[in-house]
Amino acid sequence: MSQILTTDGLPLEESLKKVEQKNKFRAFLLVAPLLLFLIIAYVWPILNLLTRSVDNRLISELLPETATALSSWEGNDLPSEDIYKIFYLDLNEAHKQKLSGKVSTRLNYAKNGFKSLINKTRRKLKNFEDENYKEQFIDINKKWGDIEYWQAMKVAMPKYTIDKYLGSVDLEKNFKGEIIQKPEKRRIHRTLWLRTLYVALGVTICCLLLAYPIAHLLSTIPLRYSNLLLICVLLPFWTSLLVRTSSWMILLQQQGVLNDFLVYLNIVQDEARLELMYNMTGTFVAMTQILLPFMVLPLYSVMKTIPPSLMRAGSSLGGTPFHAFRKIYFPLTYPGIGAGSLLVFILAIGYYITPALVGGASGTLISNRIAYHMKETLDWSMASAMGAMLLVSVLILYWLYNKILGIDNIKLG
Amino acid sequence: MLFGSHLLINKQNGGLMKKMLITALVSVFFAPFATAEVNVVSWGGAYTESQKLGYGDPFTAKTGIKLNWIDYSGGLSEVRAQSEAGNITYDIVDLYAKDTITGCDEGLLVEFDFDKDFPAAPDGTPASEDFFAPMPSDCAVGNILYSWNYAYNPNAFPGADSMPSTIGDFFDTEKFPGKRSIYTGAMSNLEIALVADGVSTKGVYDVLENQTGAVDRAIAKFEALCNDPSGGCIFWSAGAQPPEFLVSGEVVMSTGWNGRFFNAIVGEGSTIEQVWDGQVLDYEYFGLVTGGPNPEEAMEALKYFTGTEGLAGSAKYIAYAPFRISSLDIIAANEPWYKDGKTEMLPQMPTAPDNTKNYILMNPEYWADNEVEIGEVWEAWKASL
Repeated sequence: MSQILTTDGLPLEESLKKVEQKNKFRAFLLVAPLLLFLIIAYVWPILNLLTRSVDNRLISELLPETATALSSWEGNDLPSEDIYKIFYLDLNEAHKQKLSGKVSTRLNYAKNGFKSLINKTRRKLKNFEDENYKEQFIDINKKWGDIEYWQAMKVAMPKYTIDKYLGSVDLEKNFKGEIIQKPEKRRIHRTLWLRTLYVALGVTICCLLLAYPIAHLLSTIPLRYSNLLLICVLLPFWTSLLVRTSSWMILLQQQGVLNDFLVYLNIVQDEARLELMYNMTGTFVAMTQILLPFMVLPLYSVMKTIPPSLMRAGSSLGGTPFHAFRKIYFPLTYPGIGAGSLLVFILAIGYYITPALVGGASGTLISNRIAYHMKETLDWSMASAMGAMLLVSVLILYWLYNKILGIDNIKLG
Repeated sequence: MLFGSHLLINKQNGGLMKKMLITALVSVFFAPFATAEVNVVSWGGAYTESQKLGYGDPFTAKTGIKLNWIDYSGGLSEVRAQSEAGNITYDIVDLYAKDTITGCDEGLLVEFDFDKDFPAAPDGTPASEDFFAPMPSDCAVGNILYSWNYAYNPNAFPGADSMPSTIGDFFDTEKFPGKRSIYTGAMSNLEIALVADGVSTKGVYDVLENQTGAVDRAIAKFEALCNDPSGGCIFWSAGAQPPEFLVSGEVVMSTGWNGRFFNAIVGEGSTIEQVWDGQVLDYEYFGLVTGGPNPEEAMEALKYFTGTEGLAGSAKYIAYAPFRISSLDIIAANEPWYKDGKTEMLPQMPTAPDNTKNYILMNPEYWADNEVEIGEVWEAWKASL
């Protein structure tokens, strides 16, 4: 078979490929800004988050010799004089570089009390004599003679650790490396994870129940009415989240509009006003209203494509309206239900500001705890670990959804 | 308007007007580069207002350095995020003592050479002696003393023979039924619960540090209050909330910051009353952010803010005590000091003799140490409510 050549003597196939490549490159250039944006604004932060949650190098860099010494220490009895001396040299070095403060904050995450312990100790480092380090440490503060602090230090030393992940499900590692439960009264996270899941699911279901009839109405009435209605759905969507949450606070509080109205109607007694806020009820009501448009819109876009003749056909073939709805209309709206539910659920699971404002004590979610670690304790590794777990739980959900319903079945509008 | 000035330039003494216009334009374009602006971060509301009027505006009038007041809700996360991103926009931050400790440890705040950096009192007393108490860290300069006390709405107890007057009354739902509002964190709450449970105000931190189960004991006190059908709790997080809750009738008693209560009572004429028994007296500080955009101007501002007159100035607008002893002398000599010209300020301060008959002095070191673990216990308890 003879090859077809172009005028410049190259085989046609190669020549075509060249042209094609040029085009491909141009096309790539067009999407490159978006790709770059995605990498900078999405991939990189997530990778950063994941590394931060396991990265514990700082402490072993600040106390390098102590890290080595403690790794071979059994942890059953107080460390030997040698380890005290090594620790002194490390701490003194860190102090000279003005980094002993960082040692104190890091160790304080491992065991509370380290902060003032290190800070009190470092002021006296210059007075140390070159013998009996153990005694001198314990003289400064008797906590240096408490084995628990040394055990905590040993646990805190590895360069990479999953401790923060353990912490976010109320587990911890002891000095032997065994994973154990945290003391019962300090177990907070499991409750919050379950509650977050419960609220996200509940809000999704509430949204679906409320949005389905609205979307149906929108898709069946004449265009000029449906446009008006659609604006009613979208209007709150365009209002600031904070404003809407605050409005709910005005409506729901005990001396608020809703309670006043109920008292006026004599439905509730003035002394027994309903508690609609600072609890789970408040979180549910406000979140459902705020997330409702995310359910209405995908449902609406799917329902609009369903020809009304299908239901009529169902009825003419002898189905009751309910039967026709169940067998024909409802299955056709699955893509909209799927898309809406997934959207609402994913948004709800990471919701922060609304539960923080109207949730009170019993309505706060895991995201509020993440904010707490970001803002109050500055333990960003912990916050990262919890964020990563939130991300993974959404991914699992996505995977499950794909397994059961098929992701190509989704229609966002 | 522009058209009008154009006409003026052409028809009247055009030369001068033109010059003036050009000067004006040039100064508009170059003003931001010529004079530095200092970003000051504080807690917002009536408090920031007092800082702005008390020493912010006078400082700008004196030096021409513009100040931007930014609101925040506490903590060092923004400072740390800015520092990690290498784009620091904050110059001065108004901080809790425990945050000045952490900020100093993490290298986020500038260390001061106290007596060199801050001016002496008018009578020559060095700054370190003019301030009420030693600083909790080298990165802190004192600003105010404030109180975590509580207030009640007298209309809520129409039938009672006496009004709440002790910290114990805050927990007494039999005598004073109704919902309470307490701070969302454990700080200050554990202290008042222990005192209400019989611990002496001076011994609170000793009990917290050395007695096992002290935290549980304090929490049990709140648990009884919050689960009581004639009690109940809601939690506040912003300083403006407590007076709001009280005035709206949402709660009958609430802990809070005394300056905010004062503002509601004297400034806005609300009918709420403060109780000083068992108050937690706390300090508030300024910190200078390491690597802030305008360190020199910021330091100038800080010197002015925390000077004798600066601190006395802010007390004109809110009932927080100035950190300098010499500022109190100015106020005492010029009573009534409040901006309305008729309210005496000294008796309203958390440091006034009548208000400090039985008070707890906040121990920031205890909280810098134990915040995380107590935070877990506290949140776990809240979640179980």
